Amino acid sequence: MEKEIIKFNDVTIGYGKKKIIENITVSIYENDFVGIVGPNGAGKTTFLRTLLGNLKPLSGSIVKNSPRFGYVPQRDTVQPLLPYTVEDVVMMGRYSLMGVFGKPTKKDRDAVDASLSHVGIHHLKSYNYNSLSGGQRQRTLIARALAVEPSILILDEPTNGMDTPSHYSLLDLISGLHDKNKLTILLVSHLLSDVANGVKRLILMEKAFFQAGPIEEVLSAENLQKTYSSDFHVNKIDGEYIITSKHRN
Amino acid sequence: MDIVNQLLQLFPYAILGSILAGMICGFLGTFVVSQRVVFLGATLTQVAVAGVAFSFLHFINLEKFISGIFGSTEHSFFHNFEPIFYSLVFAVIVVLIFSQTYRQKVLTQDGILGIIFVVAVALRIMFIQKSPIAEVSEVESILKGDILFIGQSQFYTLLGIFIFTFGIFTVFQKQLKFVTFDADSASAHGINSRLWLLIFYIVVGMGISLTTRFVGDVFTFAYLIIPSSIGILLSKKVWQVFLIAVIVGGIIPPISIFLAFKYDFSSGPTAVVTAFVLFLIVYLYKKIKG
Repeated sequence: MEKEIIKFNDVTIGYGKKKIIENITVSIYENDFVGIVGPNGAGKTTFLRTLLGNLKPLSGSIVKNSPRFGYVPQRDTVQPLLPYTVEDVVMMGRYSLMGVFGKPTKKDRDAVDASLSHVGIHHLKSYNYNSLSGGQRQRTLIARALAVEPSILILDEPTNGMDTPSHYSLLDLISGLHDKNKLTILLVSHLLSDVANGVKRLILMEKAFFQAGPIEEVLSAENLQKTYSSDFHVNKIDGEYIITSKHRN
Repeated sequence: MDIVNQLLQLFPYAILGSILAGMICGFLGTFVVSQRVVFLGATLTQVAVAGVAFSFLHFINLEKFISGIFGSTEHSFFHNFEPIFYSLVFAVIVVLIFSQTYRQKVLTQDGILGIIFVVAVALRIMFIQKSPIAEVSEVESILKGDILFIGQSQFYTLLGIFIFTFGIFTVFQKQLKFVTFDADSASAHGINSRLWLLIFYIVVGMGISLTTRFVGDVFTFAYLIIPSSIGILLSKKVWQVFLIAVIVGGIIPPISIFLAFKYDFSSGPTAVVTAFVLFLIVYLYKKIKG
């Protein structure tokens, strides 16, 4: 069994007095690859913000074994008016490691170069962030998260609004970060197909329903019905999950 | 040349002060515009004016209080202390409230600023009506600063704000850059977004409230927006935006004072229109250039 790095103990999440999901008990382990799936508005982002410490849980406790988070927000939430370059944006990932008064050193610049190379956009280093395509922006934000040298990489809807080639290329990149770099990854998506064939464990989330565990236990027609209030077929063909709606002819 | 010599003799501190005020506003404005909280600038100018109006009610005699501590309040700075103090207090209270609103989902930030804006305007009127010192129209004119009234003590106060503002943003540029770019990610990556946004808004609030007191609300609001917008239009790097905004903010006011003096206009509105003309030229140049 891998080392437990985060544990939610009977946690209720929400805003103010509004409870979104109650009694969450779930653990995240070292070298885990967890998919968090649910319909829009199910509370996935609220769950993430609680995990990151941006929101306090309404009740319960979260035990964190000193993880260093690398966070990739939803791309649309980062739309700067100022002409930041790709390098500027990725360097921000190093800021917390420099101390309050520290300035970027060679080590920081090397880390930025390495992160950019890792996600395949080193050639865009001096480009204006605003001039990039959606996929390139997403890779920039992933590079920024990698520059933190994280123990957990958290991605919030990374493939939203992308064309098909960029979509799959990004999913390959994320899988590679887990397989080759042994990074613990939390991937949030409202697209079941994005996570079903990549992750080790799955969290299904809906307002009155929370289910977490190994993907082969959690990914069932019954659980999907409870999550999406809709009927699905779940089949495994040649080791790959095929999920189809029962309403489709 | 005669006009320039006359201006230098009559209003040396006004000219220097207007340069500083324009540079402070241009610099802070770059953050305000890039944060998409332009209305914060408008709101803070009105809040600052409401603070000055409040000082005329003399609920607490601060001058007496200060003279009790320092012995004498002969210097002109102390005579201006009460309005400056209250405009600062009002602005800081508002930025404290505003800095805590970015995570709430119930109201938009513009909505919150809109409420504060109209309440500030209404309170200003109510404070003036209860002011024992003068007619409403007289107080209204005293409330709003004027470039030409910048004297030695106002100039040194502006110099202090200039050094403080540029100092804070230079020393803590990493944190302030990150939280104004993407507060949630900064927080996730170990930067205390709540604290740094608070510091950011307090510095912005102080800068705006004090420049409003000395050069007026119209000048301050205009110079928060126009120089930084010119910077954004012309720059390819972030540092260039700041540099252009600060240079434009510093150069246009003395030219405007010259134009106002020559053509017999008020200096504040002339400074605004001159900056707008420059903005229009830059905007059209960018449009034509494609």
